[in-house]
Amino acid sequence: MTHPLPCWLRAVLAGLFAAGALAAAEPTPRQIIARAALTEDAAQQRALISSLLGRADDAIVPLLEAWRKDALFLHTAADGTKTPVQLTGDPDATGARVASRVDTGGPWLDASGRPVRLNPSELTAVEHNTSLRRAMKGVLDLVDLAAADPAKRLKAIQAIGLAQDAEKLPVLQGRLATDSVPAVRRALREAIALIQLKDARDEVKLAALAELRELHPLASADFLQRALQEARERQNAAVAGAARAALRAVEDHRTTVDFLGTLFRGLSLGSILLVAALGLAITFGLMRVINMAHGEMIAVGAYTTYLVQNVFGAGLTIPCFGLSVPLPGLNLSGAAYQGYFLAALPLSFLSAALVGIALERSVIQFLYRRPLESLLATWGVSLVLQQGFRLMFGANNVQVSSPSYLSGNWLINDVILGWNRVFVIGFAILIVFGMWLVLTKTPLGLLIRASMQNRTMASCMGVSTGRVNLLTFGLGSGLAGLAGAFLSQIGNVGPSLGQGYIIDSFMVVVVGGVGSIGGTILSAFGIGGVDQVLQQYLPSVAPGLGWVPGLGGFLQNLAQDAAVFGKILVLAGIILFLQWRPAGLFVIRSRGLED
Amino acid sequence: MATARLRLSEPLAITAAAVLFLGVFPFLHAQGVISTFTLGVWGKYLCYALLAISVDLLWGYTGLLSLGQALFFTLGGYMHGMYLMRMIGDLGQYKKPIPDFLVFLGWERLPAFWEPFASFPFAVAMVFAVPGVVAFLFGYLAFRSRIKGVYFSILTQALTYAASIMFFRNNLLLGGNNGFTDFKFILGHRLADPATARALYAASALALLLAFLFCRWLSRTKFGLVQQAIRDGENRVLFSGYATAHFKLFIFVVAAWIAAIGGALYTPQVGIINPSEMQADKSLEAVVWVAVGGRGTLLGPIVGAIGINALKSWATRAYPDLWLIILGTLFILVVLFLPGGIVSLPARLKALWQRFRSPRLPDPAPPAAAESASAKP
Amino acid sequence: MAHPLLTVEGVSKTYDGFKAISELTFYLFSGELRTVIGPNGAGKSTFFDLITGRAKPDRGKIEFGSDPSSHHDLTGLNEYEINRLGIGRKFQTPSVYTEHTVWENLVLSLHGPRGVFASLFHRLSSTARDRLDELLRLVRLGEKRDWKAGLLAHGEKQWLEIGMLLAQDPKLLLVDEPAAGMTDEETHRTGELLLSLAGRHSLIVVEHDMTFVKQIAAHGQVTVLHQGTVLCEGKFDDVQADQKVREVYLGRGKHGTR
Repeated sequence: MTHPLPCWLRAVLAGLFAAGALAAAEPTPRQIIARAALTEDAAQQRALISSLLGRADDAIVPLLEAWRKDALFLHTAADGTKTPVQLTGDPDATGARVASRVDTGGPWLDASGRPVRLNPSELTAVEHNTSLRRAMKGVLDLVDLAAADPAKRLKAIQAIGLAQDAEKLPVLQGRLATDSVPAVRRALREAIALIQLKDARDEVKLAALAELRELHPLASADFLQRALQEARERQNAAVAGAARAALRAVEDHRTTVDFLGTLFRGLSLGSILLVAALGLAITFGLMRVINMAHGEMIAVGAYTTYLVQNVFGAGLTIPCFGLSVPLPGLNLSGAAYQGYFLAALPLSFLSAALVGIALERSVIQFLYRRPLESLLATWGVSLVLQQGFRLMFGANNVQVSSPSYLSGNWLINDVILGWNRVFVIGFAILIVFGMWLVLTKTPLGLLIRASMQNRTMASCMGVSTGRVNLLTFGLGSGLAGLAGAFLSQIGNVGPSLGQGYIIDSFMVVVVGGVGSIGGTILSAFGIGGVDQVLQQYLPSVAPGLGWVPGLGGFLQNLAQDAAVFGKILVLAGIILFLQWRPAGLFVIRSRGLED
Repeated sequence: MATARLRLSEPLAITAAAVLFLGVFPFLHAQGVISTFTLGVWGKYLCYALLAISVDLLWGYTGLLSLGQALFFTLGGYMHGMYLMRMIGDLGQYKKPIPDFLVFLGWERLPAFWEPFASFPFAVAMVFAVPGVVAFLFGYLAFRSRIKGVYFSILTQALTYAASIMFFRNNLLLGGNNGFTDFKFILGHRLADPATARALYAASALALLLAFLFCRWLSRTKFGLVQQAIRDGENRVLFSGYATAHFKLFIFVVAAWIAAIGGALYTPQVGIINPSEMQADKSLEAVVWVAVGGRGTLLGPIVGAIGINALKSWATRAYPDLWLIILGTLFILVVLFLPGGIVSLPARLKALWQRFRSPRLPDPAPPAAAESASAKP
Repeated sequence: MAHPLLTVEGVSKTYDGFKAISELTFYLFSGELRTVIGPNGAGKSTFFDLITGRAKPDRGKIEFGSDPSSHHDLTGLNEYEINRLGIGRKFQTPSVYTEHTVWENLVLSLHGPRGVFASLFHRLSSTARDRLDELLRLVRLGEKRDWKAGLLAHGEKQWLEIGMLLAQDPKLLLVDEPAAGMTDEETHRTGELLLSLAGRHSLIVVEHDMTFVKQIAAHGQVTVLHQGTVLCEGKFDDVQADQKVREVYLGRGKHGTR
């Protein structure tokens, strides 16, 4: 490299070298293990192995595992010098393999610099007994504690804490002194406190309780409960009080986490409802067309995603009306395959929009002034489409796998945020924003708004309402298709996929106020939030329903099905809500006598 | 309007149909000409016709498109089904004195609310009470806040959806997915007996006849006038001093009862009742019968219910994959091209024929007929 | 002075920020025929909506009944309750039951019990029939009694609606543009009918047609609404001469064509 190093990099490198030099001063784990293998004295051997406790080195696990499995050997040279070795590589014709030195990890070279090849029969396996194996296990248990990956460390620390193994306390404390990752430090403190909870001394216990109170980890609730019980039995008021305080802190934290989790799930459910209902908000809200086939438009989008995924992958054969149509696959893999979802989004929009346009031309355009008839005719369409899906893709659900960037979780302060859920929220925001742009910033949007407000007036002004209707309906259906692409990532894709969303979507639009996109957004999140709150808290309310005369037991029984009962309560709530605001959240007024 | 011109022959036609369904069919069955199976199928059609009449009473006559009538039908069926379940006694699979599904759920004793259903009069009272109360509560809230048009339709659909997900749960102690089946006795008679089947069939035909006559009477009272005025211009009716909500509530409850009677008679004849009967699709199917038969007429729903179900029986056997496509397409076509339904066909054909015979004359069909054929949305 | 039949005091109504009626005060005495005029958007229809319960005022008092001890607060009642107190309304666009016959339209409107069960077991008495026949003659629809109301011409629908209003036998009639769509001869006859009703009934008539207004306001008062409030009130000639009125209304078209 000819460029001079930037000074900060130089500083870092210098630091690293310094650390390396320090490490060289004490024996590496390899050297320790090599020395242990050479040692005859069992007690000293154990001491050497145990000195590895809490050390992190990639060599420890394979070496100790090899030792336990009799794959660590001693080579005794003619002069009696013993060398601990491992055998690597494939055996040659004589069965000899390349030997590598345990203390360096490198190949063992003879005087001429050629690798030494040894046959297992020339060697003796290093011996081990029960107590040595126990010591090894202790080391192995703690290896992860020093792993370079903080997530791995975290997991190991938590496991130790939950086991309350007092022997490991010093290691943990040692680790706490050196580790600098905040999350790991926190886990260490939690684990130390949990272990100290079992300490016989009151002052240690109290300190541990104070620590737990400050850290309030959710997992400590049971331990605190036990500690409280014990303190009560021993009539130790101070410890009992501290335990109670710590327990309260944990419970408070749990309440917050539950609340935030519920909020998040409510937000994501709201986003799902919103995404599913937005298309309807256009076709029903702006055009006053009750499209009962809206759910099937969602399914069109979902099936499109399914097809795109398979075409990106190995291809597939669909039982299209009994014809078994093969679709070739691109056989992509890795990032290109994972990108299928990005390709599926516009295609889902297009395919659903095309189906919607066909539907508008063939049926709906004749029914604009007859909303109830449009409801019935589109229900007919929905039956035909559902059966069509069955005949094309089979009656069973099809498999759509999520791309890797949509799976996995995000943990913030004990609240679990699923990536796909986070994504759905962002997606909902994007769609709403996009729709807002289309409706307010494009000529099409202007035409849509004009002819939706006053169809007759708009057509008098020379707007081709027929075309605007067509495009609006296409837009609404396309949005449903986008929703389908999305929902395929969260739920099953099957012929009756749409049926699961249609009623919810209508509820969202009705509650929001027909014709008001803002109302739709608010009502989607409102309904989603209420639903999740009910699901979260109903089970705890259920036992309290016994007072209802005659129906008490019945309600208690029912409330245990939180999902179902919550849904029913939401629907009941919607009916009651409409008592208060019959036209939904946002009312579009008109002055005619009958409308 | 077609019925107006048929006014003289109408009582005659009703009597003829009543004699055919109430007298001739059971007689032929007793003689062995018609099998018990066929009679049962027709009994089922007649129950569906009751459901169709209840839809039409709301949609055709009052302008309330209820997408939840199957709920009331099924509730009626469940109430009667509870009686039939009790009548199984200890003859079930588990030979226990309580219904099988309760044994399966680990119950030792009968839950309290099942107790009184051993009494037939109580069950009959419940056939009216439960759907009636549900209809009253829902209708009260909906009509009070002036929910109408498509909003009403969507809410009734949500109502039946909520009820169905509830009935699918085992926790409701009403049989969950499987509902009630394996009935043995009704009022001490074996259900398997041809005579019992005949009696049930006759009861269905009689119920349909009475419902038909009741609706016919109703449509000719001042109540009927108000009802149809609500359909055509509800606000005008309000400003004429009628509390439209009360009228709608009354008709909603009556329609729920008619549907419930249909359901109560359906259960023993079909031998099973389960929550799939109250799913949103079933209500919509009943609306199809009415639309295809001809709404705003009393004959239409009966013709539609029997016709489409006969078609369904045939098509689901002959073309099982295509049935839904046939039904959906039929529905789309009727909505688009034949808003008056099948019963408007004779008048339409006659008008066409007359135009064909004397093309010079202006359209001889009285404007009234043309008006009613394209009834209000 | 007698207590007014209709008292409207300090009433305001806002629709989405638009002040349809603001601080309106209006009194009507028993037997009076009052003509209300005003440019489009003056709040005439909203004024009727507020009286008949179709809209609720944001603030203010609307009371009905000339007996001070037993008058009714209309703001707390809904449409049908207000109608039952004896306030009938004819709408601007004729609203009849299009699918019912002319006769049935009148039957539905006839004064009498309005409950569900009363309707179920309702029978027309012979006096009621006579009354309906008389009304049919009055609105000249005797020949078309079995016609569907939807098939009537626009003017005939106007007459039918007037007939329906009379069938209700209300104490107070609110008549919104009765002459719209009528021939000159019919308009004149409508005016005479309205004038003959005054005294026994009380009327508020909203109208644009100045010839017609001049005819019916010959003896009564005219109220001019402008921007939701009363601009002036008085005899037709005085109102016509008023400078403010000329500016906002009459000035724009000498003969007040719509």
